[in-house]
Amino acid sequence: MTDLSTFEPRVTAFVCNWCTYTGADLAGTSRLHMASNVRIVRLPCTGRIDHLFIVKAFERGADGVIVSGCHPADCHYTAGNYHARRRFGVFRELLTFMGIDPQRLTFSWVSASEGRKWQDVVNETVDRVRRLGPFDSYHGLAGAATAADDPFAAIEATAASSDAPEHRGAS
Amino acid sequence: MSKPAKGDMKTDGAQLKTTKATKATKAKPGAKANDAIATVRQRFLVSADALAALVDKLAAAGTPAVAPAWTADGTTDATDATVAATARETEYRSVSGAAELALGERLPRLSLKQYFLPPTEVLFSYRRNGGGEVELTPAPTDFAAQVVLGARPCDTAALPIVDKVMNWDYADELWNARRAATTIFSLACGVEDDSCFCSAVFLDPATAQGADGLLTPVDDGYLVETLSDKGDAFAAAHPESFAALAAGTDKAATEQAERFRAAAGERVAGHLTLDHERLRNWLENHFDDPFWATLGLRCNGCGVCASVCPTCHCFDIVDEPESVGRGVRRRNWDTCQTCVFTLHASGHNPRADQNARYRQRIEHKFHVYPFKFGDVLCTGCGRCSRACPTSQDLAEILAAINAKAAGESAAPDKAGKASKAAKGADAAPTTGADS
Amino acid sequence: MSDLQDTARRLLDEGTVQVVIGWEASRLGARPVFVTSADDCDKLIFDTRCVHNLATFLNPRRVQVAALGKAAVVVKGCDAKAVAGLLREAQFERDAVVTIGVRCGGVVSEPSGLEPPELTSANVAARCPGCDVREPASVDFLVGEAQPEPPVTTSLNERIGELDALSPAERFAFWTGELSRCTQCYACRQACPLCYCERCIVEKSQPQWIETSPHPRGNFAWHLTRAQHLAGRCVGCGECERACPVGIPLGLINRKLQQVVHELYGYTVTDDPAVPAPIGAYATDDTQDFIK
Ligand code: SF4
Ligand code: SF4
Ligand code: SF4
Ligand code: SF4
Ligand code: SF4
Repeated sequence: MTDLSTFEPRVTAFVCNWCTYTGADLAGTSRLHMASNVRIVRLPCTGRIDHLFIVKAFERGADGVIVSGCHPADCHYTAGNYHARRRFGVFRELLTFMGIDPQRLTFSWVSASEGRKWQDVVNETVDRVRRLGPFDSYHGLAGAATAADDPFAAIEATAASSDAPEHRGAS
Repeated sequence: MSKPAKGDMKTDGAQLKTTKATKATKAKPGAKANDAIATVRQRFLVSADALAALVDKLAAAGTPAVAPAWTADGTTDATDATVAATARETEYRSVSGAAELALGERLPRLSLKQYFLPPTEVLFSYRRNGGGEVELTPAPTDFAAQVVLGARPCDTAALPIVDKVMNWDYADELWNARRAATTIFSLACGVEDDSCFCSAVFLDPATAQGADGLLTPVDDGYLVETLSDKGDAFAAAHPESFAALAAGTDKAATEQAERFRAAAGERVAGHLTLDHERLRNWLENHFDDPFWATLGLRCNGCGVCASVCPTCHCFDIVDEPESVGRGVRRRNWDTCQTCVFTLHASGHNPRADQNARYRQRIEHKFHVYPFKFGDVLCTGCGRCSRACPTSQDLAEILAAINAKAAGESAAPDKAGKASKAAKGADAAPTTGADS
Repeated sequence: MSDLQDTARRLLDEGTVQVVIGWEASRLGARPVFVTSADDCDKLIFDTRCVHNLATFLNPRRVQVAALGKAAVVVKGCDAKAVAGLLREAQFERDAVVTIGVRCGGVVSEPSGLEPPELTSANVAARCPGCDVREPASVDFLVGEAQPEPPVTTSLNERIGELDALSPAERFAFWTGELSRCTQCYACRQACPLCYCERCIVEKSQPQWIETSPHPRGNFAWHLTRAQHLAGRCVGCGECERACPVGIPLGLINRKLQQVVHELYGYTVTDDPAVPAPIGAYATDDTQDFIK
């Protein structure tokens, strides 16, 4: 388990190249102060952001995920964000139904001129995820610890538990 | 209804019978060379209450027995008596108390093999150390002792069969270590159904093959016979459960158990009879027979038949990175029924369609494995037929092949030419099995 | 079912089709059958055991079935919805297949028995109560007698309501427990009429997005993907859950997503191929309450 008093959430942000990435850039060049817990992955368009990106982020140790792109009617590719809006509307409900707290997710529209909005999105998300705590339940699904812990101990733990927690039938 | 296949297949009744029933012969060279069935060491009488107490005791001690238990799934709670009988299922699992036991009920949905070949298991972990070298840590093989109570004889019997491939060109340490750590008490079966055919593959509903002990239901409990050192040791460790047979009751209980086993054996023996040598020869010489050309039509290629099968043992090996420079290598269940099983990197697939894949299933089990290891790779448990989403019926298919083989051996001069003489297009692609 | 058999016989006799995909009775219940000769049409049945979704055999990846020639397929309501799904997604032309619709009063959850069982609330398939296409409309022929309503049973919707009422952590524990049994055999995918990809993403290894090892982490990725890829496409035929050898309650996930696409985008799965699928389409005024 992660020590809550020193817990720093790890948040992965999948953002589009044209609006949010530029907005985040503006926030940086404007020297806006914001939490440093967010790692940005830049993609051409929110329409390119597959649901598996979110899954992979959680698998690899993220405690929260941000998906952000151009406002409606602003998409560089005309309709990528509209398609994304439908898909993520469904995926968010699916995650919720499977027991993944939707508070670990932020979806936002941040344009190239909205550096301040990006600052808000980041700070609010990090605060929210900090309150929720580490997503150990997901990170531990394969019996392995996260990279935040001793990585080598984690490997050995996985090997040692090879016949038990990962598959009920083999307990 | 489908028309009966030439000669001897009955599809309109509850039972499959071959009219010209040929007696299966034991220990024909290459047909079946199983280790002699162990002889009985000791006999005990264990009442149903004593067995329940034993299960509770083991659970309380933190060493729960693995036993058939009712399932309680997200949608179907098999402990709920209002659920339809066909939807109530059992599974092998570590039981936390005797109340969960489902002894002598429907066959557990997965076989016992998951306790020896789990659906996924770590082979080793790897990491790149500071010097750029890759360090490997093999998965430990010091498994804690475990006991299985009430295993199906057709599941237990599969283990010595699979032992052979697991110790063929390489001794599989994980399989062998789990085998060594496990003591198995089977329960003689009395609840066969139309899919079962253990007696057609050299077994019977009370086979002791692979077991350390055998339970047979008698009045008020079970006659328990130990068959190995492991079985004796387990009985000795729980003397309060394993009551020695009182003088005088010995004979009565043993005779009652014999009657139970004989009756079950007779019932199953009516299901299917195979001449394995002839079957094997037919399979060897009819790789391109038109019989195969329609067999895969309804098959989904899903491999459920292999997942549930106690003898299927194929696995896939994958490397799973946990992060940069470290991860684990695992092996996971695999099956020859999927289209990617034989897919080459070039894109070529030597088993291009489901007919070829289904043929592989039959060939491997009834020709290749017996040829190589002396054992049929099937215990007749019938799970594949019961679980198949498209109702492929292995007993029916085997009966059809057996009949073809019988027909050809009656006219030996035609045998070799059969595959060339028959035209695939003429065979009515109907049920597959009867074309 | 003489009108079913007559229709099939006529289609084969006239050479309109070369194969009729239907159900036959078998030793262990009912099963799919491929009838290529008019003489064999008396095999065809339709009763409460005919659970299999025969639209699965129209999947383009079923090369052997395709090789038999033009097909007529017998469809009950849920099969007809799946045919519509395949047409909607341009898997074949409408006139490439003949559909023989059967009036359906529900089927059992498992196709066993030498005689068709009476439907009861204990044995009826979960999808049947409340079915809205018991007489498929968009078929070439409609045969059989009108059938009574299937019996009512504990509905999937109620079970979903119970799960929705739990906390996220409790739901996560529920699904971790359920998914821990999954062996990633993909029988659910193979049975599904709408899972027709030439190569499923779970079988792509460069890169490997979904871990194929059946530990719960791999299983979550697989199930989230299977569900997401079928959102707005799944017809609720229940074949995936029936195929599953370890009883994963896939019907709950499928039904939940049917509810979601209905609530968010007003879409109800239909046997009319002209109605566009909700994913892949969009409206400029789609709900965005969840977006900051
Ligand atoms: S025979 Fe049945 S269980 Fe086996 S792959 Fe084919 S459809 Fe699946
Ligand atoms: S092939 Fe079928 S009948 Fe034979 S052991 Fe496997 S599951 Fe049982
Ligand atoms: S039948 Fe297929 S899956 Fe089973 S052991 Fe043989 S090759 Fe492997
Ligand atoms: S996902 Fe399941 S219920 Fe939905 S169409 Fe596919 S097989 Fe039918
Ligand atoms: S849900 Fe069931 S059918 Fe699907 S992959 Fe998992 S075990 Fe197989």
